[in-house]
Amino acid sequence: VNMGTDLAYNFVFKVVLIGESGVGKSNLLSRFTKNEFNHDSRTTIGVEFSTRSIQVDSITIKAQIWDTAGLERYRAITSAYYRGAVGALLVYDITKHLTYENVERWLKELYHHADPHIVVMLVGNKSDLANVRTVPTEEARDFAEAKGLLFMETSALESTNVESAFLEVLTAIHKKVASKEVTRGSISAVTLGPSSEFNEEKRSCCNSS
Amino acid sequence: MAKLQSGNGVQRGTVESLAEHESSSLGSDSELNGFTEIQTDKYGFIGGAQQSTGENDNIPPDVLRQREAKWLDMLNSWDKWMAKKHKKVKLRCQKGIPPSLRGRAWLYLSGGKVKKEQNQGKFQGSKSHDARFKELDSQPGDPKWLDVIERDLHRQFPFHEMFVARGGHGQQDLFRVLKAYTLHRPEEGYCQAQAPIAAVLLMHMPAEDAFWGLVQICEKYLPGYYSAGLEAIQLDGEILFALLKRVAPVAHRHLKKYKIDPILYMTEWFMCAFSRTLPWASVLRMWDMFFCEGVKIVFRVGLVLLKCMLGSQEKLKACQGQYETMELLRSIEPRYMQEAFLVQEVIELPVSERDIEKEHLFQLRRWKETNGELHCKSPPRMHGAKAIIAAEPPSRQDLKQNPTIIVEVPQTTESKMEKGKKAKSKMQKKTDMKNTSPPLNPYPLPSDPALVSDTLAPSESQHLQGSNQSLSSTENDTYL
Repeated sequence: VNMGTDLAYNFVFKVVLIGESGVGKSNLLSRFTKNEFNHDSRTTIGVEFSTRSIQVDSITIKAQIWDTAGLERYRAITSAYYRGAVGALLVYDITKHLTYENVERWLKELYHHADPHIVVMLVGNKSDLANVRTVPTEEARDFAEAKGLLFMETSALESTNVESAFLEVLTAIHKKVASKEVTRGSISAVTLGPSSEFNEEKRSCCNSS
Repeated sequence: MAKLQSGNGVQRGTVESLAEHESSSLGSDSELNGFTEIQTDKYGFIGGAQQSTGENDNIPPDVLRQREAKWLDMLNSWDKWMAKKHKKVKLRCQKGIPPSLRGRAWLYLSGGKVKKEQNQGKFQGSKSHDARFKELDSQPGDPKWLDVIERDLHRQFPFHEMFVARGGHGQQDLFRVLKAYTLHRPEEGYCQAQAPIAAVLLMHMPAEDAFWGLVQICEKYLPGYYSAGLEAIQLDGEILFALLKRVAPVAHRHLKKYKIDPILYMTEWFMCAFSRTLPWASVLRMWDMFFCEGVKIVFRVGLVLLKCMLGSQEKLKACQGQYETMELLRSIEPRYMQEAFLVQEVIELPVSERDIEKEHLFQLRRWKETNGELHCKSPPRMHGAKAIIAAEPPSRQDLKQNPTIIVEVPQTTESKMEKGKKAKSKMQKKTDMKNTSPPLNPYPLPSDPALVSDTLAPSESQHLQGSNQSLSSTENDTYL
């Protein structure tokens, strides 16, 4: 039912949103996939997800975005969420320095569970509250560069840079896939969506590389 | 307060208008006063997915009144009912607890009432003779937990009138209850799924009672669910999946084929005891049974939903993939979650405590092989009210109801006495349980000495005679 009504897409990229509780992951998800924002969005327990298809050059990419609980003890159950992810947005809150300090731990978590070629963007959210900022932009940008991460500051509330952030990540993933930097195994996971078991499945306009 | 609408609970007005004014919240619930257009459904929901769709309440008022009388009778001699007539208690929980007594019944079923009474004062080590909750309530709390709790206060049932106001009484009480728990069990701290659990409790009882209800859920019904490592929930996920093989082999095969980890779909279901998944009428019915029969209800609901959504080849044609399957499980068809249907399915599903315990042992062994010993060794869970009360038999004193408003009941006819009883029960529901001086209890338990004056309730024997719902009454109530 879903598949039938979807626009034809060339790739499915699974992207996970990670970071401390309350930094705005769920609203980044809803802003990007539904153009919605809610001050009182429910605490994420378990996993939420949503999709959106975008154009990168002449390619249609279906972004499958997964959102999880950020509280520390939930990390025990997140390994299932990382499976098959080719991109990650590691989100912190620019007004809460502690959420930025914990980024290192999240990176460790990420590399422990996810594909080594995963594209990671460090996202400083809540840029609309820049007047009470506690994390300087340059400091975070330098850190990202040192760690080989993409970087952007966003505001899910005002919709600032949300599109750009996701677009940049998805483009970077596509580049990696196109340049065959990733192993054969990863490519099948990327191009055929859910599982490499279903290589035979026919999707419209599926151009496996 | 928002206008209450009887009938079909159609939503009028907008929720956005509330959001616009949240910056002007003065920490009171009065901000709803300006919105005469906003209407709540009968459960207090202004909007959101759990607002009732206007299903007709098919329980006639006289049946409801009968049930209330039966429940009052049970609560008055709770230990006897639990010891000798537990099957009937269970049946009545399955039929649904009358709304006016739900909070009180939950507190009794869970053993929270007993805990509360046993911790009323003279707490060991405390400087004051305050009740345990009052003591915890007055302490500042660990800033680390407070920070996280505060971030969650406006994120629980934001469409419910009790929790919609930022800094309102509902959110304040939620804070107090969650904070108290982190002080009560500092080694456990706070886990986010405790907030919706506490919120549901608060919708039915005052903060102190809700606190003890939460304690019982976290320690007796679902031990380890909210602890660091979340091992218990992972194990239950495996148990659920294993049980599914027998209940709905087609669904089991599908989930296995697409490598859909149970954690991906059952986490929110189980950790929040379905309070974020089902329509509200169904949540309440599930919780009525859950408090009586324990976690097997939660398992049965999960199994029923999986069976309904993934149980046939036809349904599975539409979700050939991990993501598609998860999307399907995320939007369960309303007809499968509908109160009457779901309750019936849950009651009939042949999955017992024994099945769960057996599978638990098996999965625990598997877990240890892969992951070593459990980091967090929780106590074994209690499978419902009977197990809880048997493990810690309460004294009569612990079970005594403490009305804080005494209604002068004329010592005349039986029917007037019944009315007085009901009026009292409604008032008790709404008052805060502050015991300043010990009130007279006009409903002494059979073995209690006469505590009442002649002008109040009739004598003990008259009271028992007056009740037409004795222990041996036949169940004429067949409404489900």
